[in-house]
Amino acid sequence: MDNVIEVKNLTKEYKNLKAIDDLSFEVKEGEILGLLGPNGSGKSTTINCILSLLNFQNGSIKIFGEEMRPDSYDTKSKIGVIFQEVAVFEELTVYDNIDYFCGLYVRDKQIRKKYVEEAIELVGIEEFKKFYPKQLSGGLLRRLNIACGIAHKPKLIFLDEPTVAVDPQSRNNILDGIKKLRDDGATIVYTTHYMEEVEIICDRIIILDKGKILAQGTSDELKKNAKIEEKITVEVAGMEEDNIETIRQFENVENVSFDSNVLIVTYKKGENNLGELIDYLRNNKIKYDKIFSERPTLNDVFLELTGKELRD
Amino acid sequence: MFLHNFKYSLKTLFRSKMLLFWTFAFPIILGTFFNMAFSDIENNEKLDIIDIAIIDNEEFENNQMFKEAFETLGDESNDDRIFNIKYTDIEEAKKLLDDEEITGYVLLEEDHNNITVKSNGINETILRYVVDEIQSKKEIVMTLMRSDIAEIMDGAEAKLNNISNKNLSYTMIEYYTLIAMACLYGSMISMFITNYKLANMNSVGKRTAVSPIHKGKMLVGSLFASYVVSLIGIAILFVYTIFVLKVDFGNNLALVILLACVGSLAGLSMGVAVATLIKAGENAKTGILVAVTMFGCFLSGMMGITMKYIIDKNVPILNMINPASMITDGFYSLYYYDTLERYYFNIASLLIFSAVMILVSYRGLRRQKYDSI
Repeated sequence: MDNVIEVKNLTKEYKNLKAIDDLSFEVKEGEILGLLGPNGSGKSTTINCILSLLNFQNGSIKIFGEEMRPDSYDTKSKIGVIFQEVAVFEELTVYDNIDYFCGLYVRDKQIRKKYVEEAIELVGIEEFKKFYPKQLSGGLLRRLNIACGIAHKPKLIFLDEPTVAVDPQSRNNILDGIKKLRDDGATIVYTTHYMEEVEIICDRIIILDKGKILAQGTSDELKKNAKIEEKITVEVAGMEEDNIETIRQFENVENVSFDSNVLIVTYKKGENNLGELIDYLRNNKIKYDKIFSERPTLNDVFLELTGKELRD
Repeated sequence: MFLHNFKYSLKTLFRSKMLLFWTFAFPIILGTFFNMAFSDIENNEKLDIIDIAIIDNEEFENNQMFKEAFETLGDESNDDRIFNIKYTDIEEAKKLLDDEEITGYVLLEEDHNNITVKSNGINETILRYVVDEIQSKKEIVMTLMRSDIAEIMDGAEAKLNNISNKNLSYTMIEYYTLIAMACLYGSMISMFITNYKLANMNSVGKRTAVSPIHKGKMLVGSLFASYVVSLIGIAILFVYTIFVLKVDFGNNLALVILLACVGSLAGLSMGVAVATLIKAGENAKTGILVAVTMFGCFLSGMMGITMKYIIDKNVPILNMINPASMITDGFYSLYYYDTLERYYFNIASLLIFSAVMILVSYRGLRRQKYDSI
């Protein structure tokens, strides 16, 4: 597969702050790349640099093999962007908004009409064509925002947190739409705060923090490379500090936490851990209720790499 | 692409209630307010005809200037006459004054003029003022007769030729500033539409910035739409002021339209400059434009013609950079002067103002990449 995007040694500074620090990565044709990172990690700045909206101090950016510049109109004609902020005209109807933005890419009126209808159908807002943006709910507004960015059938799509503050029904609709765009052949760069979305739709993930790549790979690859292999969660009636300290000394234990009668033990390796822990609880007459044993989630990987929750 | 941007810019502008209020409704509301306020003032200012007597003695008969002046001021066929004059002898005049049938009487004597009144009021003051004025004019004529009249007249001719005999009602200035205000309020339209094209000002601007269309091409269609909307607003205001408020803009309609078009262009360019140079929200920019326009109109006489004279006399440079003053003065000169020299000077000034505004905005308009957005 060809690289649709090639970013090499990208550095962007705001006065004394390095927003992007020597960043290099590629996006392959037909894949959905997830950019994951806490607030201020440089996700949106990276996208704005790639789109030639922001100046940067160092590095090079190629899209479809061509160096990206503000006047790269051929390249721009193949790109669709859904920004984090809803970018529509308050004074135009849903249909007119999509038609206006589509018209910046597609001149033929008949083709444009077809594309606009298809975009409306893709995001599921057929009943709201004549509505004005202020008449729409947050979820519908986000769907309109997406329709405006993809109506012209771009080959490369940037989605910057498209599901922020969206109801579950709209979120599912948006995610289904993104998968369909990928199935139709589009390459997608997707940033989000929602880990489960990344696991559902992204082929590859880059974890960013402070403008640097901390890890990249598929969801399974990232989990495999994590320090922990198993996480056991136990609901217990109560525990002494001595018990916690004893468990901490078990073989392969990475970390132990106890809070609100929930004991969480993470292990570097994932064999025979559950039996050993249950035996200890029984032998020490510690009452327990539910026990879960699971592989680490992407959230655990993220926490391990960045030291903070994604939504901090 | 031009038509696509033009069409959707028109739709956007005609859907913006805030813009429609400031550019269409507000000038008409203000014009109506002016009409209600000033028509009363003008009506109240019409003076009652003052009853006076003039002693018809030999001195008066020989004083041609006084005689002609009072004949004109007391001409019964003239609607604007000031005096109702009785030509009589002094005994009769005294009796009329005692009976309060006249305000006063004038007795011309060889070396001075006597004005006799019974009390001090507006009518008595007017009578005194008129007699003093005639006397002073008489002295000027006597001086001229002793001078080289040809030389003086040559110098004065140029100035006199420019001035028509029209009497300018000062409320006309208010209406001219109203049109100037409407022209400059077009700045809000262009600011609004330009904002939508700037990636560092607006999220829609970001979206258009990543489209494959040159920003200049998009702006041309959108600004043309702004100009059309602005002119429609001015046209409605003209129709309202001419046919409802009965404002006289002179006879040359083509030049009136030309001035309105150039004035709107100045407003348009001012809006582009504010949109481009000031990094603030749309409401803040609207506030700035309203404040600048109203202050400009205030200086050009909207809230009282005295201000226009004060600026003309003391800080004329302000009028050279104030587009409201240029537009107001353009209409004034078109109405009041018989030649177009001053009118074209104002047209040229407005064009220069517009060019300067676009030039200072150019860097911001041209910019495609930003340090931060």
